[in-house]
Amino acid sequence: MRLLVIEDDATLRESLARKLGESGFAVEQAADGKEGLYFALEYPVDLAIIDLGLPEMSGLDIIREVRKQGKAYPILILTARDRWEDKVDGLSAGADDYVVKPFHFEEVSARVNALLRRSGGWASSEMTAGPVTLDLSRQELRVNEEAVELTSFEYKIIEYLMVRAGQVISKAELTDRLYDQDFERDSNVIEVFIGRLRKKMDPDNSIKPIETLRGRGYRFALERNQSG
Amino acid sequence: MQSLSSRLLVSVSVLLLVFFGATIAVLDTAFVEAGEQARRDILDGQLVALLAAAEPDKNNELEMPERLREPRFQSIGSGLYAELRDSANNVLWRSHSALGLEIPTGVRPELGNHLFARENLEDGTPLLTLGLAVEWEFADGSLKSYVFKVAESLDSFNAQIAGFRRQLFGWFAAVAATMLLAFSMLLRGLLKPLRQIESEISEIEEGDRLSLSGAFPTELRGVARNMNLLIDSERARSDRYRYTLDNLAHSLKTPLAAMRALLNDQHNEGFSGRFDEQIERMDEIVRYQLRKPSASVADNLVLQAVKVEKEVARLVDGLRKVYHDKHPHFEVNIEPGMQFRGDTGDFLELAGNLLDNACKWCNEAVRITIVPSVGARAIASGMVMTIADDGPGIPQEAADALLQRGMRLDESTPGHGIGLAVVKDIAHSYGGRLSIKRSAELGGAEITVSIPPVTSSKSG
Repeated sequence: MRLLVIEDDATLRESLARKLGESGFAVEQAADGKEGLYFALEYPVDLAIIDLGLPEMSGLDIIREVRKQGKAYPILILTARDRWEDKVDGLSAGADDYVVKPFHFEEVSARVNALLRRSGGWASSEMTAGPVTLDLSRQELRVNEEAVELTSFEYKIIEYLMVRAGQVISKAELTDRLYDQDFERDSNVIEVFIGRLRKKMDPDNSIKPIETLRGRGYRFALERNQSG
Repeated sequence: MQSLSSRLLVSVSVLLLVFFGATIAVLDTAFVEAGEQARRDILDGQLVALLAAAEPDKNNELEMPERLREPRFQSIGSGLYAELRDSANNVLWRSHSALGLEIPTGVRPELGNHLFARENLEDGTPLLTLGLAVEWEFADGSLKSYVFKVAESLDSFNAQIAGFRRQLFGWFAAVAATMLLAFSMLLRGLLKPLRQIESEISEIEEGDRLSLSGAFPTELRGVARNMNLLIDSERARSDRYRYTLDNLAHSLKTPLAAMRALLNDQHNEGFSGRFDEQIERMDEIVRYQLRKPSASVADNLVLQAVKVEKEVARLVDGLRKVYHDKHPHFEVNIEPGMQFRGDTGDFLELAGNLLDNACKWCNEAVRITIVPSVGARAIASGMVMTIADDGPGIPQEAADALLQRGMRLDESTPGHGIGLAVVKDIAHSYGGRLSIKRSAELGGAEITVSIPPVTSSKSG
């Protein structure tokens, strides 16, 4: 998942970016409003974290512009102004949730995960499709109630596919969203990881959780048990 | 008597009364005197005619002819009478018209003098009489004194005066009424700009208008301009105050957030834990102290009409996003078209904090009810806002502590944060109050904020 962090305070921004990176997200950073808007409109972004008080262009204006351009990804506001007037303005402009400064990182991380899951149409942090359950808060995959051991990269792939269960995800999109820019971009790597995931989740090839659509990409194929 | 126009009208009425009263008195006196003079002249003429008609008889007594030239002396009760008395006041002759009447003797005039007098007949008819005492020298050289007296009934004269007075009063009353009417219309026209200023100020107080319009006559333009300057500077002051607080909060909180981020990188658990507590405290101080109400009931001219339905809808939409997973069911009961007279930010703080707490603590139901409260002479209605949920509720002790002792940060009701303290402060600044109880229907907390109606700053 690729996140965008727009925050003018360098210490805060870098710390946030580093910790989100450690949690398995690819993170873009922008230090002012104009740069932030450019990233928000031009980069493949799954979620944006936007400070409301930014130089050059206010966070509120960025949110309005992003929504006006038809971008639907979730937006989390960081705000030092916790008057309800500001919160309501942000939410009406198109943001989905807010975190008031000074926050604990865990708070931001929890909101980010919840927003991503919601944007995939899942109502709870335990996503279940057939025998497969993904627990986002514990970052755990279970098949038939048996935990499946995954590397962090394998987890990122299944999380991305499963949050968007039913949608076709191209190899290029997976590469974009999962690699940080400094990773080697090689689409064969994705094929290898998909193969490993299939083996781990479905050793006897009976449930077929991941479908390959030739020339188009992959799709998490199991029916959701519940949806929001 | 506070109103300028009633003062002016009363003053003008008194002036008109005095002026017209004096005029009427002068005219009346002049008319009566002229009338009476005319009567005297007539009586004088009649008297001269009587003297001319008197003849001495053979017995050396005066004798009046059977018929006089004046026909009114001949017809009975005509109103013009005459008589002749001798020196002993015995009636020697009386005109035919006075048949059956007794003309009062009255005072005997001095010899050779005319004497006018007002006397009455026995039946009360007023008379104007003229008596003349003469000494008649007969052919034998003897002298005898006589009194000739003519009397005219004043009935017709008095009727004439009464008619004149009726006309006089009628005309003057009509003129006075017309003048007063014209004057009060003139006054309405003249005072229209003042009434306009008055109504525009009311509109500002009710929040329907931002400043006075410029369309006033020259004399009032300065007042209107200064009034607008005052309103603008009040608004600017209130905006500046809020802006300063916002900036202060922002510039304090970002470093706090950075400190917390840096602290998380530390691996000394005990140290960072204690440090984090201090950050938490500083944050609460900033949040509480810098989120003071921006307006109060005293700032009448700054307040605006907040559209309650619209703002609550915005809040509920926002909270639906924030509590997306919990998916609380909102029941909103607001009197249609209801307005809250105050500051939009303050209203959002009141409703936002209470709704947020309700969402946080409810199982699934949140109910917000807002009704206006009205009072005598209120120019804007107050508001009673009740927010209830079906959660665990607030323990009575905690509620009492918050409501009675006032709020200190380390005493904030656990779980309800400083939101309630902010709500209480804002309610107080609008002269209102806060009450906490258990919701009879939903079973959770029920918090009511009552803001009293705004009474006009105008006197009277």
